[in-house]
Amino acid sequence: MLELSLFFILALFTLGGSITMVVSFQPLFSAFGFLIAMLGLAGLFALLNNQFLALAQIMVSVGAVVILSMLTIMTVNAQVQNLPKEPHKFIWLILSSFLVAPITVLIYTQLNTLPATLKGAETITAKVIGNALFTDWVFPFEIVSILLLTAMVGAIVIGRKHLLDTKACS
Amino acid sequence: MSAHLFFLLVALLFSIGLVGVISRRNLFVVYMSVELMLSAITLLFATLSQTLNSANASVMSLLTIAIIAAEAALFLAMIIHLYRINRTLDSEQCTSLKQEAL
Amino acid sequence: MLSIIVILPFISALFLGILYLSNPTKKRYKLYTLIGSGVPTVIAFISFGLFFKLFNGAPSLHEDLFNWIAIGDFEIPVAFTLDRLSSIMLVFISGIGALIHIYATGYMRDEEGYGKFFSYFNFFMGAMFLLILANNPIMMFIGWELVGLASYLLIGFYHQDHDNITAANKAFILNRVGDFGFIMGIALLFISLEGTAFTFDAIALNIHNIDLQTLTWIGILLFIGAMGKSAQIPLYVWLPDAMAGPTPVSALIHAATMVTAGVYMVARYSFLYVEIPQVGLFIAYIGAFSALFAAIIATYQSDIKKILAYSTMSQLGYMFIAVGLGAYSSGVFHVFTHAFFKALLFMGAGAVIIALHHEQNIFKMGGLKKQLPLVYVTMFVATLAISGIAPFAGFFSKDAILASAFASEHYLIWGIGSFTAFLTAFYMFRLLFTVFIAPASSENKLHSLPKSMTWPLVVLAIGSATAGFLGRNEAYGGENWMGHFLALPDMVIHLSHKSEYLLGGLNMLLGLSGMFLAYKMFAIKSEAPQERHFFNRLVINKFYVDTLYTRIFVQPLLLLSHLIANVIDPKLFDGIITTLSQGYLLVGRQFSRLQSGKVRLYAIQILVGISLMSYYMLFKLGVLG
Repeated sequence: MLELSLFFILALFTLGGSITMVVSFQPLFSAFGFLIAMLGLAGLFALLNNQFLALAQIMVSVGAVVILSMLTIMTVNAQVQNLPKEPHKFIWLILSSFLVAPITVLIYTQLNTLPATLKGAETITAKVIGNALFTDWVFPFEIVSILLLTAMVGAIVIGRKHLLDTKACS
Repeated sequence: MSAHLFFLLVALLFSIGLVGVISRRNLFVVYMSVELMLSAITLLFATLSQTLNSANASVMSLLTIAIIAAEAALFLAMIIHLYRINRTLDSEQCTSLKQEAL
Repeated sequence: MLSIIVILPFISALFLGILYLSNPTKKRYKLYTLIGSGVPTVIAFISFGLFFKLFNGAPSLHEDLFNWIAIGDFEIPVAFTLDRLSSIMLVFISGIGALIHIYATGYMRDEEGYGKFFSYFNFFMGAMFLLILANNPIMMFIGWELVGLASYLLIGFYHQDHDNITAANKAFILNRVGDFGFIMGIALLFISLEGTAFTFDAIALNIHNIDLQTLTWIGILLFIGAMGKSAQIPLYVWLPDAMAGPTPVSALIHAATMVTAGVYMVARYSFLYVEIPQVGLFIAYIGAFSALFAAIIATYQSDIKKILAYSTMSQLGYMFIAVGLGAYSSGVFHVFTHAFFKALLFMGAGAVIIALHHEQNIFKMGGLKKQLPLVYVTMFVATLAISGIAPFAGFFSKDAILASAFASEHYLIWGIGSFTAFLTAFYMFRLLFTVFIAPASSENKLHSLPKSMTWPLVVLAIGSATAGFLGRNEAYGGENWMGHFLALPDMVIHLSHKSEYLLGGLNMLLGLSGMFLAYKMFAIKSEAPQERHFFNRLVINKFYVDTLYTRIFVQPLLLLSHLIANVIDPKLFDGIITTLSQGYLLVGRQFSRLQSGKVRLYAIQILVGISLMSYYMLFKLGVLG
């Protein structure tokens, strides 16, 4: 019972944060919504007895990604006139919701065909994950490390000033 | 408590992300919507790790989080770049893929 | 041996053609002469050898090369047959053809395209041999068509002049009209025979299985082919225009080869025409009217070659009278004698033309008797022969034809034939006297004639004088050797010797009176015909037949093609296509708006598809339920 109420509270946070994020006009509000959603997700991970993931989520998503996003938003410091005018934002949102709705239903119904009993016997700790990561998952792990390196290099290259001369958009 | 609720939450979060991507023009919101879709996937993996009682799904979840981080770096760099050029965060301003009139 | 006769000219034509094309400007006079005239000469000797084999009583010769078409039991072999009819044709075609080739080496000496000319010439001979020696209608048709092609190439030999091209086209197209009839006739014959063997011998055996009406149609259709090739009314208009080619070509076409193909074809199908005498009568009337018509036109022509062209048409009319009435051997006999004197006439005319630097109007000539005595004498012999003066060749053959017309009691045909004989004598002597005896209108320095152009004239003059003796019938002390040798299904003539003498005498009289009339009118003083009165004008303009054909056939066709080219094609077809393409462009422009460059819209487009698929999966495939 406690778990269920905890789940609903966390789910409410997550959904509320995401909806705020999608709907807000100001990017910073969106970032706050995103932050709340990420925190809610971390809580859900903890609820799933997934200690390590919860920590990783807080550290990476919240601590790094969201903070970095906010930092960027504030660095860009876009004025209201520089933000896109979206006069029919809500019409777009409702229309696209209708488009996405069947996909949601389809995803949900298909996911429900998976085994649905939460065993919850074992807490997934750093040890368990580490064992798996460095035995069966070494190769993907290394690939991901290369991906991260590549992303870093790419970000630096994209951010360099001389690229300004090339006209990416009109 | 069963995993159905988690599945429902995953579907909803993914859909909200999708709606954000296709209906918003603000590049930051688009970026965060993409992140939200990926996060929904990490939640799905975490849930599966419980239902299947296996650490492998958790590892995949962890790798997905790493991908989120990598993507964040690139996406933010691109947003900054586009903003420097266009002085706007409007995705509709980027139309160089357009077919010139015959 | 038979296949060698057919193939050798083709090989030499190919060889000469390649040799010529390898270097068109180079003069290889000796090489071209050696091959071009050597091959026909060799063939002429072979032909004589084969002829004497048959002459000494050998049955017909057969030679099977290979099966060309084999469908089930039905076969069309590439095979050659030399029977008595084709041996006669072969002998005089190869003999006279060889003489014309030798003559052409002199006539064409200074022409550009000497090698090309001999390539075509040999090709022509080969095609004619194929036509003659074919043992089935299909092979004959191939030869028939190749002859048409060769005549087209040769008539248009001086292709730098547009008029000559037109003349060649005219000959080719009119021959196509005839060939259409011919091939329809062959097809009808083939269908009627219901798949029995398709050689002439087999057809002759099975001809009784065909009902009379079909046979009539076959006869008429085949004769339409003959009309085209042998220039009978109404398909004759190409023949005078065919004079555009070099004179040896005219000699070859008119004397030995192409125009005789029609007569040969009717004689070859004599087994068929014997069954349908009413079609034969039709042929005879066509021949009679063609003879008269051409003779009338010829009396008012002033171009030496055109006069000879119309005389050819007139003589061909005689031949068709003969084959139409069933006197096949008389017809073939006239083909035979005609070949000699007509070749001689054309070659003499060519010699005159060369001597006068390509002058063809007889009224600008005159008094050539002294300067060209040999040509004068030989042409005199030929003119006597064609006019039917005894004892030259034409007398016997023409007399045989007129006698059979008289004996078959078709007096109209006989009357026309006799009157035409008078006209023939008149216009031929008109030509002769105007060119050789009448005082010259202007002095010309004559071009010298090479030996190769003169001695074939002598050979042919001897032939023209004596060839008639081969077919003398009993009344004239012969035994009609030609008729017995050919052994064609001739009609039987019952005429007493007295009436034969009367007819022959009448012919002589008519010929001589024509000659004297011509002498009176043209020997002392010759004048070009003037368009004085109605009849006069009508004849000079060749009865306006060419104009009529232009009005009836050519102009409506031109109008139609003009309409198609300027209205129907650009407006209707192009219009439809342009409208369609404009429509596609319009639709394409609308669709290209989808490519707005906005990636978000692309995502929406993809999502719409996915969404619809999801709806389908949920509600139709029952995923939900």
